[in-house]
Amino acid sequence: MRDRVERLLERLVRASAVERIAVSVAALFASILVGAVLVFVSGGFASCRTGLELAGWTFCYNPVQVYYELFLGAMGHPLQGGWSPMNYSLATTLQQTTLLIFTGLSVAVAFRAGLFNIGTQGQLVVGGLATAVSVVYAAAIVPGGLVGTIVLIPIGVLVGAIFGGLFGAIPGALKAYADANEVITTIMLNFVAVGVTSTLLSWQFQDPNSSNPQTQPVPEYAEIPTIPYVGFGGRMDFSLLAFAFAVALMVGVAWLLARTSFGYELRTSGVQPEAAAYGGVDDKRMVVSSMTLSGALGGIGGAFWVLMVHGRWLENVPELGFDGIAVSILAGNNPLGVGAAAFLFGILQSGSRSIGTATDVPPELVGVLSGLIILFVAMPEFFRMIGSRYVGVERERPARADGGEAGSDDGGDADA
Amino acid sequence: MTDSGTGTTTEEGEAARGGTDPGSRRTADLAVHLDGITKRFPGVVANDDVDLRVERGSVHALLGENGAGKTTLMNVLYGLYQPEGGRVVVDGEERSFDSPRDAIDAGIGMIHQHFMLVDTMTVAENIALGNEPRKWFGLAVDRKRINREIRDLCDRYGFDVDPGATVADLSVGAQQRVEILKALYRGADVLILDEPTAVLTPQEVEGLYDVLEELTAQGKTIIFITHKLGEATHAADEITVLRDGKSVGTVDPEGTTQDELAEYMVGREVLLEAEADPCETGDVVLSADDVVVEDERDVEVVSGIDLEIRSGEIFGIAGVDGNGQGELIEAITGLRTPDEGTITFDGEDVTDWSRRERIDAGMAYVPEDRHKQGLVMPFDLVENGVLGSQRSEEFANSGRIDWNAVRDHSEEIIETYDVRPPNPDADAVSLSGGNQQKFIVGREFERDPDLVVATHPTRGVDIGSTEFIHDRLLELRQEGVAILLVSSKLDEVRSLSDRLGVIYEGEFMDVTDPDDLTEEELGLLMAGQRPSENADADASFRGDGSGASGGRGGDGRDEPTGDSA
Repeated sequence: MRDRVERLLERLVRASAVERIAVSVAALFASILVGAVLVFVSGGFASCRTGLELAGWTFCYNPVQVYYELFLGAMGHPLQGGWSPMNYSLATTLQQTTLLIFTGLSVAVAFRAGLFNIGTQGQLVVGGLATAVSVVYAAAIVPGGLVGTIVLIPIGVLVGAIFGGLFGAIPGALKAYADANEVITTIMLNFVAVGVTSTLLSWQFQDPNSSNPQTQPVPEYAEIPTIPYVGFGGRMDFSLLAFAFAVALMVGVAWLLARTSFGYELRTSGVQPEAAAYGGVDDKRMVVSSMTLSGALGGIGGAFWVLMVHGRWLENVPELGFDGIAVSILAGNNPLGVGAAAFLFGILQSGSRSIGTATDVPPELVGVLSGLIILFVAMPEFFRMIGSRYVGVERERPARADGGEAGSDDGGDADA
Repeated sequence: MTDSGTGTTTEEGEAARGGTDPGSRRTADLAVHLDGITKRFPGVVANDDVDLRVERGSVHALLGENGAGKTTLMNVLYGLYQPEGGRVVVDGEERSFDSPRDAIDAGIGMIHQHFMLVDTMTVAENIALGNEPRKWFGLAVDRKRINREIRDLCDRYGFDVDPGATVADLSVGAQQRVEILKALYRGADVLILDEPTAVLTPQEVEGLYDVLEELTAQGKTIIFITHKLGEATHAADEITVLRDGKSVGTVDPEGTTQDELAEYMVGREVLLEAEADPCETGDVVLSADDVVVEDERDVEVVSGIDLEIRSGEIFGIAGVDGNGQGELIEAITGLRTPDEGTITFDGEDVTDWSRRERIDAGMAYVPEDRHKQGLVMPFDLVENGVLGSQRSEEFANSGRIDWNAVRDHSEEIIETYDVRPPNPDADAVSLSGGNQQKFIVGREFERDPDLVVATHPTRGVDIGSTEFIHDRLLELRQEGVAILLVSSKLDEVRSLSDRLGVIYEGEFMDVTDPDDLTEEELGLLMAGQRPSENADADASFRGDGSGASGGRGGDGRDEPTGDSA
């Protein structure tokens, strides 16, 4: 039994990229199967006028319709007549995808440096407010129109990144110089972020024309523009340009980790701090700089939430930062995987709304279905993460004691 | 996984041999008989159809290079691994052990290289741990009985161990005897010792040989794993040599020379002693001046060490592990800040320099712990080849790493230093210890350094590669590199070093020409005892050593090294 578990873990750890994708797809189907049974059976306990009559029971919910809405509803029903790719549902899906790419990257970068940044949410909240305020104030001195767009958006994103980064640097510095566990400090700083921003808002930045806790709106030309005729126009709160920026940032982070000296040092610190120190990495500075980078990515998420979705900062920030943790884990902390994971989360969010409008299935049950999918798809990755530790340790023993290459060692010595 | 195809052939082979067992008449005398053991790990055959016959009441050495499969074979016997093929016969009965517990019940005990003792507990508590005799219906431990039984055991085998002593207070040799007692207490008749001498001083090794003799005299059977020829020929009644997972054969140490044994192990002729030409020293490259280092618990572990190494010179540090050499080395290489004293490198005070700055200034470092420091285990060899150079001009410009150049560099290391398998994409963790070490040594030696700090550079490395690493060290010395060599292998530091510092409890007992010390004297110095008959000579050595560190002119100082040649 123990042996079998070990072998299974080992296989999982050594799985190739193709195998891992295959596992994920299989897990997705398995979760749908389980979820379908769940929906169908729950339908038997709900009351409704029309439903499937079976053995004296009335089954209210149709699992096929539920999953149809979840996946195709998230795209705006592409199989129905009159479908346009630029529809509201797909816009919601991609909007969530875009924002979750930022927060997912934030968590992933910290993870790769061996740090568990739970504080992406707080960094996003702080960065978002900084963006909104800076753009509102800068708009007063910058001409409007296209010039305003070109000047204000980069300012907003940059300010969001800086403030998010500074807010991320705090737990980094606390860990590096005061040995404070970053999990604890980032969780606490999330509350600090909410408290400080809400105080700042009521003290200085509250929109005088509104009774809701929110800042003044940024000028319309300072919102992320949509592409005329191609993009999602109107009030869909989504821009393909923002999506393209998120994807480019994702590739950039992947490149940074894989190709640069900094990325190499970051990854080394993450897997083996002693080896990093041996290789000349200043561990304290690495903790601070990787947390700063992570915070900056969270702050950029806040900037886009402000500039793309609402055009202003609101007090009730959605939990994009916390979802970023799940996205990162689902992606195995791989920056490129973050895109796919964020897309899945986007679909689940948008599709859930679609189920709500098209069926009588209660939102709680829809939440269960989303949860099942995440659980099933994330589990293999999760076991892989655990397994790589376990198998890594196990493997060292035979390797060290017995020498891996007994087989290939043959002959070599004899030749010499 | 890949070699599942060969499984059937092995089993067939084994079946065939089972029929023509030549040793069946002697089976009754055998305490342990391993017959055609095959054990595979993914991609590797660690034991390929290995036979081992151990006679009762004998000391049997299992000799082989690292990666030859010695420990795997013993782990099979001890129930840690299940073999894919072959029979385990103990006391003439075929057995199959699912866990060490089964092996212990069958009378087999194993003493691992790293002791499995609880430092804060007493000897008696350690020995009885997990097998405590109970009293009051199992509600309490019968301590009196434990003490009595241990004392009986000690009397019987002539051990001098106090059951009430705390393990942390015992010397390493005594701790080893506690491990042996633990196995005996559990009723072991066959004792497996994995590299038992690795951690001992020469005196303690002698003590171990006496213990082994006493044990066999009382009918116990000993199997000891070693890669040291001298030990095998000295202590064993029979030697089985393993090479590349296969048994080369069993020989009688009486009629076999060490050169022959080395040839069995390696498969070709080997030169056992490194040849050191006289050195021509140049300027002082590294000097440490009154360095004091405290460890994490604020205990002073290095107490005012002075040393000076010139270019073209190998300075050796000999000492039992844990006498401050590790901390001294870390202070020199920049992983630790000394609490007092200065370190000068190439004429500059580098005491406050970071590790990064020291690497850039030309300091190469083969670290003591290759698993934690020297290699990033989950990274492949390409990525490991740039560890430490990730910001050097050679491989990185404006923050970008040139991975093609790194790959070429790593492939060169792999080829030059004979790293196997020769696959730069293999993860470091998948390599055997010796090959990991070869890769680290290669990376550090080829850094074009001014100073090489090599800690146990050949630890776990097989004879053939040890020879190569020694040659390469001497080449570097010839090229004018200064070398600081720390090794627990006495013959290694003795034969390679131009000057030798013997460290004990954070201080140099002596700094001298290694040829002026016999192995016994060296062993005593390492144990903190100054040979009394050498008192005069000793004083003069010390005078010389401290004079050199004080920065005296080169002429006077070169003399002793000149003599050594």
